[in-house]
This record gives sequence, C-alpha cells and structure tokens, in this order.
Amino acid sequence: MGSSSDPHRGRRRRHLLPVAAVSAVLALAPLLLAYHWAKAGWRDWHYNYPATPTGYSQIVNRFGQPCNADASRISMSWPAADNGRTYTLGFHRKLGGYPTEMVANKGGRSTNLDNDVYGHIQNDHLGPYTKSGIWGYFCRYIKNTTTWSTHAWGIALDISASYEPMGQCYSTVNKYFAHVFRNHGWRWGLDFCDPMHFQYAFGY
Amino acid sequence: MNKRVMAAVLWPLGVLSLVAGVAAVGRTAPEPERPSVGPVMKPDTGAGEMLLVVLGGVFETREEAEAANASMSFGDVQGYYVVPVGQFQGFREQLPVSGEHGLVSVFRTEEGAQEFVALASAMGQPAQILPRRVRSLGGVYAGLGQEATPDGSGPLVAPIADSLP
Repeated sequence: MGSSSDPHRGRRRRHLLPVAAVSAVLALAPLLLAYHWAKAGWRDWHYNYPATPTGYSQIVNRFGQPCNADASRISMSWPAADNGRTYTLGFHRKLGGYPTEMVANKGGRSTNLDNDVYGHIQNDHLGPYTKSGIWGYFCRYIKNTTTWSTHAWGIALDISASYEPMGQCYSTVNKYFAHVFRNHGWRWGLDFCDPMHFQYAFGY
Repeated sequence: MNKRVMAAVLWPLGVLSLVAGVAAVGRTAPEPERPSVGPVMKPDTGAGEMLLVVLGGVFETREEAEAANASMSFGDVQGYYVVPVGQFQGFREQLPVSGEHGLVSVFRTEEGAQEFVALASAMGQPAQILPRRVRSLGGVYAGLGQEATPDGSGPLVAPIADSLP
C-alpha cells in the first residue's frame, strides 16, 4: 500500500510538468541569449556613417568619381543560403572596413555595411533569405543606358539576384531583411521595381 | 440605444480602416521608373585604337546574337554588346568559331578586361579575353569607357599608351 496507491500522484505530476518546463525556459533563455550575442562579439556600432547623398552631384561630392580607387577598396564575403556559394563583393571605403570585433582593419572609415548591416542580418537570423547572386562594385553603366550605375561608386549591392530580377515590382525574399538596409541609410530598389538592388543614395 | 452605440463604434472604425487602407496603398506603390539620373556618357568607340576584347559568344545573325544577349543576366548593370565581327580588325582571326556577330565588351586596360571577366563569371556567364588586341574601326558602341584609370581617379575615357597603335 503506502504512496504507490496514492490516487492523486499522477495528477500532481502532470501539474508539475508545465511548471518545470517554464522554469527550464526561464533558466535557459538568458543563457542562450547571452551565448547568442557573445559568440561572435557582434555589436551595432553605427560609427561614422556618411550622410546618404541625394542626386548625382552629392554622390560625386561624397564618394568621388565613378570607378575611383576607393569605390572598390573594401571587400567582404557573403555566403548565399541556397547554393552554398560565398560571394566576394567590393564596396566603397566610406561604407565599411573600420575595425570592430567582427571586422579586421581594412582601412575603411565606417562600420556601416560589413559590421552593422551584415551583423544585423546574421544576428536576426535573416541570413537564410540572402540567396544566390550577391554583388557589389562594378565599373558599369545601368543596363541599356550610358549612365553610371551606383555600383560604379561601390555604394550599391545586389542580393538574391536569382530570385529578385530587375523589372519585378514585388519581392520574394529580400523583403525579409530590407528594413535592415533602410535603417542604416540605404534605399531599396523595389521603389523602382529592382528588388535585388540596395543603394546608399537617393534621387538616383 | 444599442443602435446608437453600434453606430458610434462602427463609424470611427470604418473611417480608420479607410485611412489605413489608403495609407497602405500609397506607401507600397512603387515609382514606375528609376528617378532622374546623372549625365549620359558619350558612347566611346575608340576608333583607331588597339583594344582588348572580352568575348561572350559568336553567332551567325544579329537576331541570334541579340536573343542570346537578352538571355544573359547581368543583374541591373550592362553586360555584353552585340557587334558585327567586321567592326574590329584582327577580330575574326581570333574567334573560336565562325560567325558574323559577337557578344563583346572592349577595354583599354588588362585590369578592366579582367574585372569584367570576374563580373561575368560571378553571374555565371561565359567570358574569355582574346589573346591579341584588335583595332577598332569605329562602328557601334561596344562598352568602352567602363573601366578605371590606372591612377584610380575615375573612369578611363581617353586612349592610353597600350591602346595607341
């Protein structure tokens, strides 16, 4: 007889289960969060961003002539989630390359793109939405024109080009992280039906 | 009484949803085109100059070449240009296959040509630099001027020692 015959024992155990689960979550959550933030030592610096230019004259005043040496001075690696390929893209030294916990000193002047934007995307677990076709600096004109693309200043990025073709006025994957770019001074090309494109300029 | 209360609750709700709807539509409507941009560059043919050719393909007819070019994605930047083979002296002799129209982009510097090859391969497109420079006889625009000056000050828009005959 004794305790094994206690008819309420099973019910008490069932009542204890949720309490135990909540306690475990409460105990583990801070540990997991601490690990998550500390594992790479990432921090959003927001250091020394240039003002986002509006129009051609301001772009040239702030970033120099198209295809100048600073336009491709900094490079970073960006893995695509779908094909496993890691793309190497160049960009202007005013948009990154400043030494942080995540970025080695590359002679850049701010923490914008490589530390802050990329860091946010990774820490917010939005990396799986950055798909194949990731490019930065190119000394080229805008398609079917003889007008410089913002890529020629190293102030533009194409992401998920395979999924977000130029001319498509909606987004399938870049919409999940576009807000990160916008919050760091970038304009999203969806505004002019080019959803793969992000640029650090307005009015162009 | 109930009807009055219902009306008092529903009217503001209706107006609020209408305003929210209008705001949402207004906010997401894209601009139909890219806004006004910088200066239009003068197409530079480099007539008489010795240029490096990056070749993306050779085709018998212009239509075939245009169709192939249209199928090649270079994102939102300019890729290849369709040119007649006769536009460059010394071009036909270097073609891997016979044809009358080529997909090309031409350059004055080795660095510019290499950079375009890197762009094409990043985008999964074919690209090869022809071993010998060709002489431009003018003709249609073939992409010249889209490379950096050797001193890094901006785009290269004038002949250099290597491109002069």
